[in-house]
Amino acid sequence: MLERLRTDLTYWEIGPYHGALPGPMRLKLRIDGEIIVSGELETGFLHRGLEKAMELHPWPATITYADHLDPEAAVFGELALCLAVEEISGLEAPPRAQAIRVLLSELTRISAHLGYIARVGRATGAETLIHYVLRDRERILDLFELLTGARYSLNFVRFGGVAADVTEGFIERVLEVSELMRVRLKEYNDLFTFNHAFLLRAAGMGVIEMGLAFRHGLTGPNARAAGISFDVRKAHPYLGFEALDFEVPLGHGEAGRQGDAHDRFLLRLREIPQSLEILKHVAENVPSGEYACMKIEREFEVPRGEGYGRVESSRGLLACHVVSDSGRFPARIQFRVPTTATLALLPEVIAGLPIADLPVLLASLDLSLAEADR
Amino acid sequence: MSSYPQEASWINLLSSTLGFTPGTQEWVFAAIGLVFIYCVIILPSAAMMSFLDRKLSADFQARVGPNRAGPAGVFQPLADLVKLLQKEAASTDWNWREALWLGVHTMALYSTVAVIPLGSMALLVDTDMSVFLPFWAALVLALGTMLLGFSQASVPGWFGGIRIAAQVLAGAFPSLVAVLCAGIHSGDYRWSAFVGAQAAFPLRWTAFSDPFQFIAFVVFVAGGLVMLAVPPMDAAVSLRDLHGGVSSHLFGRRLSLYRLGRFYGFFLWSVMATVIFLGAWTLPFGLGGVLRTREELWLLQLLETLWLLGKTFLLMLAITSLARVHPRGRIDQVTDFSWKVLSPFSLFALIGSALWTGWGLLR
Repeated sequence: MLERLRTDLTYWEIGPYHGALPGPMRLKLRIDGEIIVSGELETGFLHRGLEKAMELHPWPATITYADHLDPEAAVFGELALCLAVEEISGLEAPPRAQAIRVLLSELTRISAHLGYIARVGRATGAETLIHYVLRDRERILDLFELLTGARYSLNFVRFGGVAADVTEGFIERVLEVSELMRVRLKEYNDLFTFNHAFLLRAAGMGVIEMGLAFRHGLTGPNARAAGISFDVRKAHPYLGFEALDFEVPLGHGEAGRQGDAHDRFLLRLREIPQSLEILKHVAENVPSGEYACMKIEREFEVPRGEGYGRVESSRGLLACHVVSDSGRFPARIQFRVPTTATLALLPEVIAGLPIADLPVLLASLDLSLAEADR
Repeated sequence: MSSYPQEASWINLLSSTLGFTPGTQEWVFAAIGLVFIYCVIILPSAAMMSFLDRKLSADFQARVGPNRAGPAGVFQPLADLVKLLQKEAASTDWNWREALWLGVHTMALYSTVAVIPLGSMALLVDTDMSVFLPFWAALVLALGTMLLGFSQASVPGWFGGIRIAAQVLAGAFPSLVAVLCAGIHSGDYRWSAFVGAQAAFPLRWTAFSDPFQFIAFVVFVAGGLVMLAVPPMDAAVSLRDLHGGVSSHLFGRRLSLYRLGRFYGFFLWSVMATVIFLGAWTLPFGLGGVLRTREELWLLQLLETLWLLGKTFLLMLAITSLARVHPRGRIDQVTDFSWKVLSPFSLFALIGSALWTGWGLLR
C-alpha cells in the first residue's frame, strides 16, 4: 500500500486585489498541497460610508447614494429605500409608476444575471460565451439609457413614483429585447450550460447545503439553488408582484448535487425566462395615468417613524431600514444586503476544495463587495 | 550534423548564392541557417498567427478585434512587440535566477530550430533521432520553466512552475508513443522517411492511412496541447487560475521572449504534426518532381515551405478556434486526461498499428 505523501501546511494570502477575486477582499488560506484546509476572509476594502453619508444629506439626495449600493444592479437599492420611505410618509406610487418600477427591476435582474454568466464564463475560460453575453447585456443597458439617460447608475426611482414617464418607443423596445433574449438563451444553453468541460469544473463543486444556507440567512438564487423556496416577490409581494404569474425555480442538482456551482449557474439561467414573462405581461399592460404621486422638492420632509422596505434583488433579499425624526435629513438608514450571508458561509464552502477551483467558486457565488462593504 | 543530402541541400543553394567558397565550415552555414529560419519563418509566423487568431476569435465572438495599428490592424503584433520592448523594469533588483532559468528555458526551446523540418532541402539535421529532439527539449523546457517559477519566489510562480512540469510529463508520454506509431508506418524516424511514406493526396497521408494512425495523430496533437499548455489545456499558465503562472512576474523584454517561446513551441508541434501525419510538404499534382527536373530548386523549396506552413497554420487555427469556445480544464483534469485517456489510446494505437503493418508485410 502506498504511503500517503506528507506535505506541510502552507499559508497563502490572496488579495485584496487579484484577478480571480470578485472585488477587493483578502482570503487567508491554509493549504495542504493544492487543497484548501481552511480560509479566513477579510472585507471592508470598499467601505465608502454610504449609510453615514445618507444621514448627512436631505431625503431626495439619499436616493443617489442608495443607487451606488450595488453598481451592477442600482435600481434595487433605490427601490428598497423608496419603499421604506413611502411606508413612513404614506405615499403611494401610482399604478403606472409601479409598472415602470417592475420593468426596471426585471430588466436589471436580467442584466445582472447576464453579468453573472459572463463572470462564470471568464472564470472557466469560456471566452466566446463572455462576449455573447455582454453583447446582449448591452441591449438592456441601451434600454436603461433610453429611459433614464444613464446605463448603470440610473437614479430614477423617486419617493412616490419614478423620475419621469417612459420615453417614446421604450415599451416596444422592451418587448423586442425580450423576444431576442429568448433566442439568445437557447444559444447560451447550447454553447455552455451542459458543456462537458464546464460540468467537470462546476458540477458537484462548492456545494451549499440547505442547512448551511439557513444557518447563515442565505437568500436569493444561491439559496434557491440549495432548495430553499424563498423569493421576496412571492413571500412579501411589492409593486403588485402578487398579481403577476411567474414561477420561482429551484435547484435540483441535475448535473451534480443540489446547491453546487452548476446549480447556481443553471438557476440564474432559468430565472431569466421568468423575468422575461413578467416583462412581457407588464409591458403589454402599462396603465395610463401619472408616473408619480407628487413632485418631491429639496425641502421634502419625512414624518417621524420607522419604515422597512424589502425587495428581491438579483442576489437575494435586499432590505432597507429607515428611521426618521421628522426632519429634512434621515436619522438612520441601514441596508440588509444578500452578499453578507454569502460571505459569511464562504469559509465553510472553500474548505476541502483545490485552489484551482477557487476562481470558479467565487464567480458562482455572485458576490458584490460593493454592497457588502458599502 | 552532416547527414543532409549534400547534392540537393539548401545549404548548397545558400552557399552558391552568398558566394561562399567550397571550403567554408559547415557550422557557419548551420548558424546562418538557424538565424535565417528564426528571422524569416518563425518571427513572421508568430506575428501572422497572432493577428489571425485575434481577428478570427473576434469574428467568433461578435466583436471587431485589432483595428487600429495599420490597415485592418495588421501591424498590431508589431505594435505589441515594440510596446513590450520599451517597458521598463518594475523593480531595480536584478533577479539573476530568473534571468538564468529564462535563458535555459529559451535555449532549450530554440535548440530545436536545428531539427525543424521545413522542406526537402531545408533539413538541417535529418538523422534517425531528429524527431525525438523536440521531446528532449520539452523536458529541459519543463525543468527550466519549473525553476524559473521557483526563482520568482511567489505563489503563482511556484504553482505555475510545478504545474507546467506536471503537464509536460503528462503530455510527453502519449505524444512519444504516437510518434512511435507513425515510425512503424514509415519504417524509420528520419524526417525524410516520414515524408517519403506519404503523398500529396490526403488519403495517402499517414493520419488517414489506417485507423490506428488516425488515433495516433489525434493523440499527438492533444498530447502536444497538454505538453505546451495551449488553450484549453492552459491551466498552468491561465490568468484567471494563477495570475498567469510563471509569466506573472515577467515583463517587457523577458515577457516578449517568454511569449515568443510559447508560440514557437506550439508552432514547432504543429509543424511536426503536419510533417509526420498530414503529408508534410509534398506538393500536389507532381509539381515537386517537375520543378526538381527543371532544377528550379529555390522555387521548389519556397513552394514546399509555403505549402507546409499553410497546412500548419490551418491546423493551428483549428486548434485555437476550438479553444475559443471550449472552457478551460482544471490542472488535475488536464493531466488526468493525458495519463488516463490519451496514454491508453496511444498504446492501443501502437499495438494496433504494429499488427496492421505486420499483417500487411505478411500478405
